Amino acid sequence: MIETQNLTYQYSKNDELLTFPDITLKHKDGLLILGKSGIGKTTLLHLFAGLLTPTSGSIKIDEIQIETLSSTKLDAFRGSAIGLVFQKNRALRSLTVVENLQARLFFNRKPEDMKVINDVLLQLDLDNCKHKKVNELSVGQSQRLGIAMAIVHKPKLILADEPTSSLDDENCNRVMKLLLDQAAITHANLIVITHDHRVMPLFSNVLKL
Amino acid sequence: MMNVWKISVKNTLSKPLDVLLTVLFLGVSIALLLGVEELNESFKNKFNNNLGGVDLVIGAKGSSLQLVMASLLHLDSPTGNIPYEEALKISRNKLVKKAIPISYGDNYLGYRIVGTTNDFPEIYNATIAEGRAPEKAFEVAIGAVLAEKEHLHIGDTFKSTHGLVSDGHVHNKVMTIVGIYTKTNQVLDKLLVTPLESVWRMHEHHDEEHHDDDKPKEVTALLVKFRTPIGLLTFPRKINESTNMQAALPKYEMEKLFNFIGVGVTTVNWIAYLILGLSCLGLGINFLKLVKERAYDLALLRTYGARISELIRIILYEGLIITGVAIIIGLLLSQLIVYCIPHVLNIEVFQDLTLFIPYISFVKVIGLLLGILVVTVFIAIIPITKMKISKVLNDEV
Repeated sequence: MIETQNLTYQYSKNDELLTFPDITLKHKDGLLILGKSGIGKTTLLHLFAGLLTPTSGSIKIDEIQIETLSSTKLDAFRGSAIGLVFQKNRALRSLTVVENLQARLFFNRKPEDMKVINDVLLQLDLDNCKHKKVNELSVGQSQRLGIAMAIVHKPKLILADEPTSSLDDENCNRVMKLLLDQAAITHANLIVITHDHRVMPLFSNVLKL
Repeated sequence: MMNVWKISVKNTLSKPLDVLLTVLFLGVSIALLLGVEELNESFKNKFNNNLGGVDLVIGAKGSSLQLVMASLLHLDSPTGNIPYEEALKISRNKLVKKAIPISYGDNYLGYRIVGTTNDFPEIYNATIAEGRAPEKAFEVAIGAVLAEKEHLHIGDTFKSTHGLVSDGHVHNKVMTIVGIYTKTNQVLDKLLVTPLESVWRMHEHHDEEHHDDDKPKEVTALLVKFRTPIGLLTFPRKINESTNMQAALPKYEMEKLFNFIGVGVTTVNWIAYLILGLSCLGLGINFLKLVKERAYDLALLRTYGARISELIRIILYEGLIITGVAIIIGLLLSQLIVYCIPHVLNIEVFQDLTLFIPYISFVKVIGLLLGILVVTVFIAIIPITKMKISKVLNDEV
């Protein structure tokens, strides 16, 4: 259950005040947020992830008012409840694929269950390159690793920032399918922000900023 | 298992060239600092150790440092001879506890033969380990290292060579080894000790040839130990002013020598500190660069739930790894330097140098490095604590 009310954000005094419509998502619901660049899509995503604190309004994720959390609690909450998917540079460059997943669980203070990690690697077809360094991966493998990093700790909310913008149609569909599948498997809410209209048909719930 | 240490190690290994350069610079400066200090300490120790509690050296006029070097360290050539009569007179003085005459003139295989009394080994707290003390002319007792190196045994005989270097004229008189001293780690280990008569009679032989029979007996120097420190105050002046001889204070002469060497040591130390300073600057710049370059990775870690303190630990451990490796390399390199220099230079003073690891300098250098590390890490982590994760993540796109 995700709920926002009267959410606004202002980067600094001279900047425009960004206002966001109220959002309510039920358990396992997905949401596509469409909008041109500069309109505050990423800002909204970072507000959900607790990377930014709203200027006013509230965000409730699973009955937790995240804007009221202390910074340590917010770190812990972000680590366990949120999975972030980035457009590029999805993992630590000095570590291998499997070490990245281990690190993800370590900082999340979850037991380092190799079975969980191996399952995720299998699901995302990464088990054959699990000892490769991140910069040795192909584009496709790197994208799948980004998804693996966002779901290995079974978050309640998966947030994806322009996951498809640089992809061709075929890869775009593959990535979106993986995201939707993984969200379903882990029973997570999936919020995707994009300006990519190809993704629209995949979501019943679309918000235009 | 994943942990903060492992991430630090992996991060360090991910930039092998940068790390190698930093580690090498740090390592070399540590090696220089420690190596020079170790050689310096070892020298001081070797020299002071060989003074053997001798308060005063009396010999022919000339350089006082030379007199001490020749009579106690057996390195330089003597300044000349003094009459044995005079030496005996001094020995009878009330203030003198012990006066040991020594007389030089010959060597065997380059090792010096010292004509003296059987009090001489006492200076070095040596006793006879094998055989007996020399009693008659042309009997010798030899140092332990010499015996071992040249495979000399009791009963062996040899002919000595005139002068202090091995390529001089060979005497006809045969000397017999009657004893071997205990090992002292001092200069005695490489000396041949014989009664004064041996030296005199060896050269009487020459004198006969030159028809010069009446020459009074001479010794090279007299090593004096006083009963009370009063002797030290009055004796040198009396001898220097009222006789043809000179008195030199070994401790004072050694201080003078160390002060000469000290200039060189200080210079090398300054150079080493300069390199150390530059490498530390390099380390600092490396850290700042690292934090900047890795800003995105560090921001990612924060999205994984990592606390700021954990990011700081990652950076700090990287610093510790680099510094630790540099210290180990520095130590190994300094030992290599210290062991190689004596062999490469092959100078007599370097031989059988007992090495003293300068623990105080070692602790000082490590303390300095850790201090600098803490400061550098502190400067490097300021950007981390101020990092706006959202902005860093955005900028990467």
